[in-house]
Amino acid sequence: MRSLLLALILATSAASASAQQREVLVSAASSLTDVLQQLAVLYGQRSSDRLVLNLAASNTLARQVAAGARVDLFVSADDAQMDAVAADLIPGTRVDLLMNQLAIVVPDDRPARFTSARDLLGSGIRRIAMGDPAAVPAGVYARTYLQKAGLWETLQPKIVPVGSVRLALAAVESGAADAALVYMTDVATASRAHLAYAVPAAEGPRIVYPAAVLRTGRNPEGARRLLAFLRSAEAVAVFRRAGFGIAGGPAGQGTP
Amino acid sequence: MSPEILEIAVFTVIAAAAATVLMLVPGVAIAWLLARRQFPGKAIVETLVSLPLVMPPVATGLLLLWLLGRRGPIGGLLERAGVEVVFTPAAVVIAMAIMGLPLLVRTARAGFEQVTHRYEQMAETLGAGPWRVFSTVTLPLASRNILAGATLGFSRALGEFGATIVVAGSIPGRTRTLAVGIFSFTEAGQDRSAAILVAISVAIAFAAVLVSNRLAGMRDA
Repeated sequence: MRSLLLALILATSAASASAQQREVLVSAASSLTDVLQQLAVLYGQRSSDRLVLNLAASNTLARQVAAGARVDLFVSADDAQMDAVAADLIPGTRVDLLMNQLAIVVPDDRPARFTSARDLLGSGIRRIAMGDPAAVPAGVYARTYLQKAGLWETLQPKIVPVGSVRLALAAVESGAADAALVYMTDVATASRAHLAYAVPAAEGPRIVYPAAVLRTGRNPEGARRLLAFLRSAEAVAVFRRAGFGIAGGPAGQGTP
Repeated sequence: MSPEILEIAVFTVIAAAAATVLMLVPGVAIAWLLARRQFPGKAIVETLVSLPLVMPPVATGLLLLWLLGRRGPIGGLLERAGVEVVFTPAAVVIAMAIMGLPLLVRTARAGFEQVTHRYEQMAETLGAGPWRVFSTVTLPLASRNILAGATLGFSRALGEFGATIVVAGSIPGRTRTLAVGIFSFTEAGQDRSAAILVAISVAIAFAAVLVSNRLAGMRDA
């Protein structure tokens, strides 16, 4: 009986100890999947907070927040989706965190090197996967880029819109699509995709990942600490290794 | 109603009807085999046919993508023959047919099991061959169940989402169905379009279930 009581006391104290290790729920763009998984491990060693990742296309994440999801920190792949939840942000916490570039990939059993996006017009390219250009940031960027290049209308019949940039990459890896527009940083995470063309920064749209603390979260203090960590030299080194540019500038609040 | 929405609704109904036609012959054949014949591996066939009913639809879709994709065993052959399936309307129909098949087989099988053997034996004694017995006695007696099963399969096909989005995608004007459209419009923040598709889905599903129930009810009458 006494040992049972002891076990009970131990169990309760263990429970309260784990309650002190509080969770920070982060909704982050799917292109951040691998790099944030690395940083989550690192953060677990540096902090008493535990990072829980909710990874999806930024438009999906914004919809979740708008529907009342109790998320602590939101990292979006474009300003539009962050603007969509502007009412749910804690004022003054929004910062531009990262930068990226577009890339065109093809299946690795049909490696090709493009001299420009015009090579997408070739007859060997029948299906081009990209995030849904109506909503998914990677798709919106891709559409903007192809429109600027004057190719959008012609390529339209080849476009296969998918739910996130990582699904576009997967479509190329399975051979279901002949090419995909993804981020430069996605290329390194792929096992069966080949980089055909890295869209030069001057040609492509400006790709910025804003981050902000949400007022709907359960742990806004934890979110602030995490955001500070993501901007620390240690995290910046991890982001750079994964191929991300560091925005670090003033908040792009309200930029169209 | 915008032309885009109308197009999605019409495409979905046509695709589900095509899927029903596609599943009808193999579905009835499998149902008859399971109801009437003993053969090695019967339990395995029985299980395989029911699998799409209980498996996560997205897993079924991924299996189809692996099989039918250019790098897959069937997709590789198809490509050499110049046939594309993945991300085409054909993929929508195939996904719908596979998801609807278990409902057709289960319902039709029950129909075959209810057919009294004596009628078939009487036909045989009167000199009818096996095909004649099947087509003039067994099939008509089981027809109500087959029809009810086909209606159920059709209804399931109408609502198919998980397998379709993986193997056919959500290409406007080509592979976007009601269920996939609801999802895509919601993701894009086009709630009004999503709501209209929801209303259409409810109406079609209501009608399909009503017909299916009537067919089942007529059996008792």
